Amino acid sequence: MEKKIYILVVEDEPEVLDSIVRDITEFEAFFPVEMADTAEEAREIIRSILDEENEIGLILCDHVLPGDNGVELLVEMQNNEETHHTRKVLITGQAGLQETVRAVNEADLKHYIAKPWAKEELISIVRELLTDYVLEFEPQPLRFMQVLDGERIADHIRTSGKLTDS
Amino acid sequence: MKWTGLILGLIGFIMPLTVTFPGLSLAGHFAMSIFLMAAVFWMFETIPIYSTSILVIFFQVILLSAEGFITYSGADYTPLPFSRFIATLADPIIILFLGGFVLADASVKYDFDKSMTKLLLSPFGSQPKFIILGLMLVTAVLSAFMSNTATTAMMITVILPIIARMEPGDPARIGIALSIPFAANIGGIATPIGTPPNAVVIAALNQQGVDVAFSSWMMYALPLAVVMLFVAWLVLLRLYPPAVKSVTLNLTGKLKTSRNAIILYVTFGLTVLLWVTEGLHGIRSSIVALMPVAVLTLTSAFDKQDIRKLPWEVLWLIAGGIALGISMKETGLAEWMVGAISWDQFGYLMLLSVFGIVALVMSNFLSNTVTASLLIPLAISLVTSGLLDGVAGMLMLGLVIALGSSFAMVLPISTPPNAIAVSTGMIQTKHMISAGLIVGLIGLVLILLLSVIYWPFII
Repeated sequence: MEKKIYILVVEDEPEVLDSIVRDITEFEAFFPVEMADTAEEAREIIRSILDEENEIGLILCDHVLPGDNGVELLVEMQNNEETHHTRKVLITGQAGLQETVRAVNEADLKHYIAKPWAKEELISIVRELLTDYVLEFEPQPLRFMQVLDGERIADHIRTSGKLTDS
Repeated sequence: MKWTGLILGLIGFIMPLTVTFPGLSLAGHFAMSIFLMAAVFWMFETIPIYSTSILVIFFQVILLSAEGFITYSGADYTPLPFSRFIATLADPIIILFLGGFVLADASVKYDFDKSMTKLLLSPFGSQPKFIILGLMLVTAVLSAFMSNTATTAMMITVILPIIARMEPGDPARIGIALSIPFAANIGGIATPIGTPPNAVVIAALNQQGVDVAFSSWMMYALPLAVVMLFVAWLVLLRLYPPAVKSVTLNLTGKLKTSRNAIILYVTFGLTVLLWVTEGLHGIRSSIVALMPVAVLTLTSAFDKQDIRKLPWEVLWLIAGGIALGISMKETGLAEWMVGAISWDQFGYLMLLSVFGIVALVMSNFLSNTVTASLLIPLAISLVTSGLLDGVAGMLMLGLVIALGSSFAMVLPISTPPNAIAVSTGMIQTKHMISAGLIVGLIGLVLILLLSVIYWPFII
């Protein structure tokens, strides 16, 4: 069985959560999407994904959540070896400078998306970050080519020698 | 699948050790064990195909060499020195490929392949049908000297933006996406270094004392490649006619002009020139191949990291194929296997057709190199046992096998270029099956035609 690469979306407002998931549906056939509305629930989902020997390629995370906030969750993931490489994105309207700086410095935040977002912007960020992830960690990046940045994946095959004449 | 392959492979290996076949020497039985194991492991990909190759050489050294564990007495087999088996890893054809790999990888390193593509494509204008022709010609030229796979990957980066600018419903999108792998597969036949099956066949011919010069191979195969490119182009235009009159290419990028890049251009040009003129000056292509290796490494245009990144496993794969042929011939196994069928009822053309069809069908499902490795020892013994006419017959049979296995392009698994093209999501397997079937069958007919009206007169 090939391992699955998940997208995790953490957002406490149901309508916003729905709208994020709807915007990224084109990835869902290749990258299963999991949803959580608190950091606590996100931790459980992360645990169960990892327990099944799958990976989390990307997390789209709101900052203001009931209980632990989004930045705390991202920092925690950064410090965990198994989710260290997950590409981390904040989608928020209300993260202050201090918390955002912490997310950049301590959670290697890859992108900050301010609400409200444009659908195209969200899709292109998701595509680029998942392409980064797949090129770095996936032994067969070809199987994700049609939904990700095909040019970058093809160029990677050209330069990496992962695929040769046989 | 894995377990089936493993079990069948082990049964194949053990069977000749427990059953005695009349007329086959003891060494022949061991060679058969190795052959059956390799055939099953290669077919089922129980282990990576290059490690099956290494396993072949390993078992040959242990079971069939003078230094191995089996003591042979009697006249039917004089054990070969073990160095004969391991020397396949440095066979002249392997060195030729090494030179080709260094040139190809250096080209990628300095984006020579990309800048050449943009340069060569610019005269083809903006009409979709001529753009497709241009794409196919460039792909074929590059894949004649570089790996078909790397060429396809590079060309995909070129066509994706073109396709993205076309209407979603335009059938030419499918045509373009199919044109690249087809042209890469076809381009591979044009030169000895175009694709690994050529190497296996040429090495097997060399073992028989038949030298195939770089330029002679091109004389035999290049006309076919050119015709097939046009055939494939016409087939694709017929199946997927472009809906619009004009497409913008938007080619930007220029040749790099760093010191190392220029060293590469000169070395590349000189090597290719010496290769294609082998018939005039007589310097063997494998000797010429050492020149780019020497020049590019001594100038550090190609450094230690680059050497490590070479596709060494492809060389191992080819070496295993060559080694398999040696043991099958030297132990008399190949002759024994061929002798089991009464070939004399077949006509000469019939025989070529059988090998052509088998090669085409097999390599649609198996690696092209594996197909050639399994078929060529049998073909060679057919000739040496006197059923076909000497050198010319051997050469033609070899060509039929090499070219036939390169024309297999029906399925995504047929060749890595096909797999890449399908992965883009622009085409589905059914598109590839219909177009690939037509192109493959026409290819086979043309190969057989050449063996009647062309090759006999130039060999």
